[in-house]
Amino acid sequence: MINFKKVTKKYTHHFTALEDINLEIKPGEFVSLVGPSGAGKSTLIKMLIKEDRPTSGQVILDGVDLADVRDRDIPFLRRKIGTIFQDFRLLDSKTAFENVAFALEVSGAGEDEIAEDVPRVLAIVGLSEKHTNFPKEMSGGEKQRLAIARALIHRPKIILADEPTGNLDLVNSYDVLKLLWRINELGTTVILATHDREIVNTVGKRVISMEKGRVVRDQLEGGKYII
Amino acid sequence: MEKEKQVVKSYSLARIIKAGWINFRRNSFLSFGATGILALALLVLSGLIILNFFTDTVVSSLDEKVDVSVYFQDSAKEDQILKIKSDLEGLNNVKAVAYVSKEQALEDFKSRHGTDQLIQDSISELDYNPLQSSLNVKATAFGQYASIVKFLEDNPLKTAIDKINFYENEAAINRIESISKGLSVWGTTITIFLALVAVLVTFNTIRLTIYNKKEEIEIMKLVGASSWHIRGPFVAEGAFYGIFAAILALAIFYPAIHFASPKVLSFAPNINLQGYFMNYLGEMLLVVFGVGLLLGMISSGIAIRKHLKI
Repeated sequence: MINFKKVTKKYTHHFTALEDINLEIKPGEFVSLVGPSGAGKSTLIKMLIKEDRPTSGQVILDGVDLADVRDRDIPFLRRKIGTIFQDFRLLDSKTAFENVAFALEVSGAGEDEIAEDVPRVLAIVGLSEKHTNFPKEMSGGEKQRLAIARALIHRPKIILADEPTGNLDLVNSYDVLKLLWRINELGTTVILATHDREIVNTVGKRVISMEKGRVVRDQLEGGKYII
Repeated sequence: MEKEKQVVKSYSLARIIKAGWINFRRNSFLSFGATGILALALLVLSGLIILNFFTDTVVSSLDEKVDVSVYFQDSAKEDQILKIKSDLEGLNNVKAVAYVSKEQALEDFKSRHGTDQLIQDSISELDYNPLQSSLNVKATAFGQYASIVKFLEDNPLKTAIDKINFYENEAAINRIESISKGLSVWGTTITIFLALVAVLVTFNTIRLTIYNKKEEIEIMKLVGASSWHIRGPFVAEGAFYGIFAAILALAIFYPAIHFASPKVLSFAPNINLQGYFMNYLGEMLLVVFGVGLLLGMISSGIAIRKHLKI
């Protein structure tokens, strides 16, 4: 499903964010990407939605080399992937319902589909009561659940979560984790980038450890956070 | 590309307009600023239209006042005068020629001084008509009078002509010409300059409004919105700035004209601002709403372009 082949990303001559990354992620996997800040986790995730491009090497998604995806086709790529960020990245001027609906609208969904799917996905993340609220009227945990709802609305094959619990307390972090788990059980590939030891050890699935832009450990099953 | 087209099609106009309207309403503080600036720009524009009407009226009334009269010898025969008249009418630079016979001139004189008993008495004392036949020539433009006069001086029937009043009036004509040209040139220059300022200020205000939302635009891109999905509602929002600015501008402009019109009429009786405004109401509405809409939409469209690069 996802293949990184000899991927290197240099921002300047002095700063290499990723160095010679070789990874294969299979459909339906739950992968925790761990490492301290600056290890290259976010850069790796950005490569997958073409928010950033490798200096050398190939990123292959669903058999397509992302280097071959033209700029004007990037929106189509992004609609296939659900992305969740530490800072939620919600549209502040839109309500919870509209935030989720927007992601559907851009893929050309009709009003009926929106009216049916958005409440359903808001119910999954437990935000049915909050659909008319604006992000500023919601707690951190609620915002992140809303971001997950938005990521789920396309029924994507892959969910990328970049430090989704970074701004949340323990209880909310576990709520988010449980949601990701359920999503994964339904067959969606989940890539979770985090430096939260507790979270990673709870998941106990594949753990890829990164340090200074390199993969230093790849535990395929029952992985733990080891640095 | 096919897919893109389908998506754009299904992202209906109604949805774009609705999204634009919601943005306009929710960002009321920013919308108010942009609409206010756009309304000012439209007020300047309306003012310039009236200024141009004002200068045009002044220039054409000055124009009306300038002509050249050709006076004929008493010995000149009417057919000679009419020949010269038709020669003049054959010239490209002559707009109109009016023939005033001796008798007509006397009638005009008498009726003009109908109330002045002394003049009436003096005229009746005379046993001949002291007035001359004349041709009154209007040129198509100020600069043409000299060449018309030259034409007359080279005419074979020149001997029938007693005098041409051009030379006495030349200085006055030239002065009027330069005032009138100056008014036109300055009117146009000020119009272009102020219109440019208004457009630039509006554009920059809208650019700042959109700059304020650059984070939202980034997020929209991240969830897979194509350029059209992002641009559409912003352009629609720009259209709403335009519509409300036009309404605001007219709501200020009409009372202003209503108030100023009698004051202008009192010193320039042929300049009826309100009459002009009402006569051209349709055109004025079209220009103010049209420019408001275009300025709002184009400014938004251009301003957002920079944020759409992936």
